[in-house]
Amino acid sequence: MTPILLALYVLVWPLIVAGVLLVICSAFYRDWRQARKEGRRIV
Amino acid sequence: MSDNVEFYQLGGLTVILLFIAFYGGTFLVSAYIGKKRENADGYMTAGNKLGFGISAASMTATWIWAASMYASATSGYTYGVSGPLHYGFWGALMILFIYPFGKRIRAVAPKAHTLAEVMHARHGRSSQLMLAGSNIVGSVISLTSNFIAGGALVSLLSPFSFEQGVLGVAAGVLIYTLWSGFRASVLTDFMQVVAMLGAVVIIIPTVFFAAGGTAMFEQGAQNLTPQQLDFFSSDAFLNQGAPYIAAVLAYAIGNQTIAQRLFAVREDLIKKTFVTATVGYGATVIGVGMLGVMALYLGINPAEGDLNNLIPQMASTFLAPVLLGVFFIMILGSLSSTADSDLSALSSIMMADVYGKNLASKKKKPSPKRMLLVGRVTMILATASGLYFASGGMNILDLLVFVGALWGALVFPVIASFYWSKVTNKAFTVSVLAALAVFIPVRFEWFSMGGATGYVFDVLSIVGIGVVLGLMAFGFFGLKPAKIVGLIAALASAPFVLGFLHDYTVLTASLAAYSVSTIVCYLMSVRSQQDFDFDLIKERVGDYDSTPQPVDASATK
Repeated sequence: MTPILLALYVLVWPLIVAGVLLVICSAFYRDWRQARKEGRRIV
Repeated sequence: MSDNVEFYQLGGLTVILLFIAFYGGTFLVSAYIGKKRENADGYMTAGNKLGFGISAASMTATWIWAASMYASATSGYTYGVSGPLHYGFWGALMILFIYPFGKRIRAVAPKAHTLAEVMHARHGRSSQLMLAGSNIVGSVISLTSNFIAGGALVSLLSPFSFEQGVLGVAAGVLIYTLWSGFRASVLTDFMQVVAMLGAVVIIIPTVFFAAGGTAMFEQGAQNLTPQQLDFFSSDAFLNQGAPYIAAVLAYAIGNQTIAQRLFAVREDLIKKTFVTATVGYGATVIGVGMLGVMALYLGINPAEGDLNNLIPQMASTFLAPVLLGVFFIMILGSLSSTADSDLSALSSIMMADVYGKNLASKKKKPSPKRMLLVGRVTMILATASGLYFASGGMNILDLLVFVGALWGALVFPVIASFYWSKVTNKAFTVSVLAALAVFIPVRFEWFSMGGATGYVFDVLSIVGIGVVLGLMAFGFFGLKPAKIVGLIAALASAPFVLGFLHDYTVLTASLAAYSVSTIVCYLMSVRSQQDFDFDLIKERVGDYDSTPQPVDASATK
């Protein structure tokens, strides 16, 4: 692998992690809003 | 670089403040959801209706533990560029491959708390106690391992000792989990996953650029062997990847922390949750493994020759003090989220499987209040035993690998019990015991594998390979494709296995456990007259606490 490809290989993982974090945080916010609307705790 | 590396350490006061911020924050969150009168079902599975955000966060946080980060970096350092993939990818698939089975298990037992409890409803006491026993051993080992990781982190990066670190982590985890159990575990998992994943997003690129960026790969290539440079390294696959494929289903079946989340999430969200956790776990662990790859290119030798020092060493070398604090929180988050899940798993097993199904009076429903007491006492005793084992200097990772392979004996009997009405309690019990009777002598090399014996075990391994891949295909595609995949896998592997694989006793023992349990369970069930009605499980497994969950008025404010 060339150095550029290796750099992409190393840096792509934090990028995917950031995407997953965004999905989890936005879903958590929706869960929390829904629970609030229904007058119950999130868990 | 020298082997005797001096670590940059965080100050004692800084570490105390980080502990207070981390465990104090999690304690406040668990206190926020705490109820004066907890509900036994809520304590074990949060009432079976968790949303996607919280369940995906919890699955991801639980599956990422400190050892997985250390092991991925070790794999990157040992096997080169493909090393972290051969650790993190297969570990991620453990979550993915269990979800089709999880959907089936949840459909037949929507109100269950543990997998062993469902086995009790399906078969009876002996099957239940075998599964519960293996779950307990696995959770205690995992708990101990997380305490050890906490002690090692504190002793490396602070002036405090290993014992003080272990004690701090154990007390911190117990305090926020004790009162609300699983509910506290999943809610704090969200905070911990944000801390962990956020740290990975910052730390990996920071180390990459601080270590020289692409120049590191141009100048350091001579530090790698051809196999370490090869993205398709056979060394990495055979030594790291292949044993993990064998363990994919075993870890997921044998681990109560996964089953607990499976029973807690809303039924229609199982797939979404497990797929998100697969990607989250895989990217995080492979990403951290890149620290090992970078260390290899940079020619860094692990301090004191211990590969477990590699990650703290990279962090200490390339991160500024503030980011070293972020790194500290990342590792603390990974080990605490798994440790609190282990405590919750252990308490559920003791509440549902030991007390609820075996010790409580048969004539009336077990008392939820007493169940809660059993759960809380279990957490305290489990923490004490984790502390005891952590101070004993045992090789926990070896034990975990041993238990993981041991779980291979349970995989086919457990999965078959959810799909095949002919499987009996006797078939389940005898097949697991027969598999263990073969696994243990092979694993501990009690006899020679020379001559015909080696070939017999190679044939068993070929069958085991067929069983593992067949079961994986079965979950997604059904019986007919599974038979084809299993047959092709067995035939394709035969030329490479015969006369060769028996030298690798860990892998051979694990595959033999799969094949023996499958063969015995199949032969004992195929002629059975039993036609089990799966609808009975729903009737036999239900809520313990019929008290409705009180509406929380403060949540609407």
